[in-house]
Amino acid sequence: MLSARTRLILNTAVLTLLAAAGVGAAVGFTVFRAGWYNIGATSPHFKYVYRGLEQAMRYSVRHHAQDVKVPALGQAAILRGAAVYRDNCAQCHGGPGVSPEGHGLSMQPAPGPLVDASAKWKARELYWITRHGVKMSGMPAWEFRLSDADIWSTVAFINQMPAMSARDYRALTAGMALTLAPPTGAPAAPGGKSQ
Amino acid sequence: MTTLRSFAAAALAALTALAPLALLGGCDSGPKPPAGVLGDPQRGKLAVTQYACHSCHVIPGVTGSDVAVGRPLEDIGKRRFIAGGLLNNQPNLMHWIRDPQSVYANSAMPNLGVTENDARDISAYLLTLD
Repeated sequence: MLSARTRLILNTAVLTLLAAAGVGAAVGFTVFRAGWYNIGATSPHFKYVYRGLEQAMRYSVRHHAQDVKVPALGQAAILRGAAVYRDNCAQCHGGPGVSPEGHGLSMQPAPGPLVDASAKWKARELYWITRHGVKMSGMPAWEFRLSDADIWSTVAFINQMPAMSARDYRALTAGMALTLAPPTGAPAAPGGKSQ
Repeated sequence: MTTLRSFAAAALAALTALAPLALLGGCDSGPKPPAGVLGDPQRGKLAVTQYACHSCHVIPGVTGSDVAVGRPLEDIGKRRFIAGGLLNNQPNLMHWIRDPQSVYANSAMPNLGVTENDARDISAYLLTLD
């Protein structure tokens, strides 16, 4: 049997925690329901919310891409990737010496350049992000838009970007007009975990 | 009765401890740029995000990732030179922001189509950073 003193301490602790949880929930619900949070893309994220979400994305991509097998990617893939990138990625991500278009500049979070992407991501992770997209970030999934080979070509091109000058980029992307092969679709391709 | 009283005391203590947090969300009218600088630094701070400057440059006061594609701009207000060799003043900064290729034809910093007005406000904000 607990002593009266111990019971008092326990009761106080439990009631305090319950009251704090109750107040927290009430405040949270009020902010949520009243619409006080500014959802506009001209209002910045809170720094630590941004950092937390970014880190969560990093862990999630690392986890989901771990079983993706990277194919051999040669010069042909890089050249093909340059054209795929120019037609589908540069609008939001830009390139060396090349600005994104207006919508890419005003998104939040900003899509950002990919010239440093290969320093931040492994090839299999770039493939996974391109194929599956990133929820609530504006990054679309390309699984139903590009063939698997074209997604890998894009990754091959992005991996070359750190060493690319504005002149190199212009030269590489000046090439062919693209005819896209139909996407291979979801089930058959070796795309890692889709959940 | 004793339980209630100590509970009230605990609740009061918790509220007192949290009160300073409310002050942290206070106002931020921002620092002033050096004398002679034209434009609106607060609007410039918003314009920075609408031209995605922060996607390549780390810029104090602007939430973004840790990037090193462009040079960090944390002390640009007190640098003597920008863009390698231009004297750091507002007209030069605006010129560089609006048309990097006219300074270096092969610059990796793209021409982002910044209007003169927006470049003035952006430079006004950047020149507050020291």
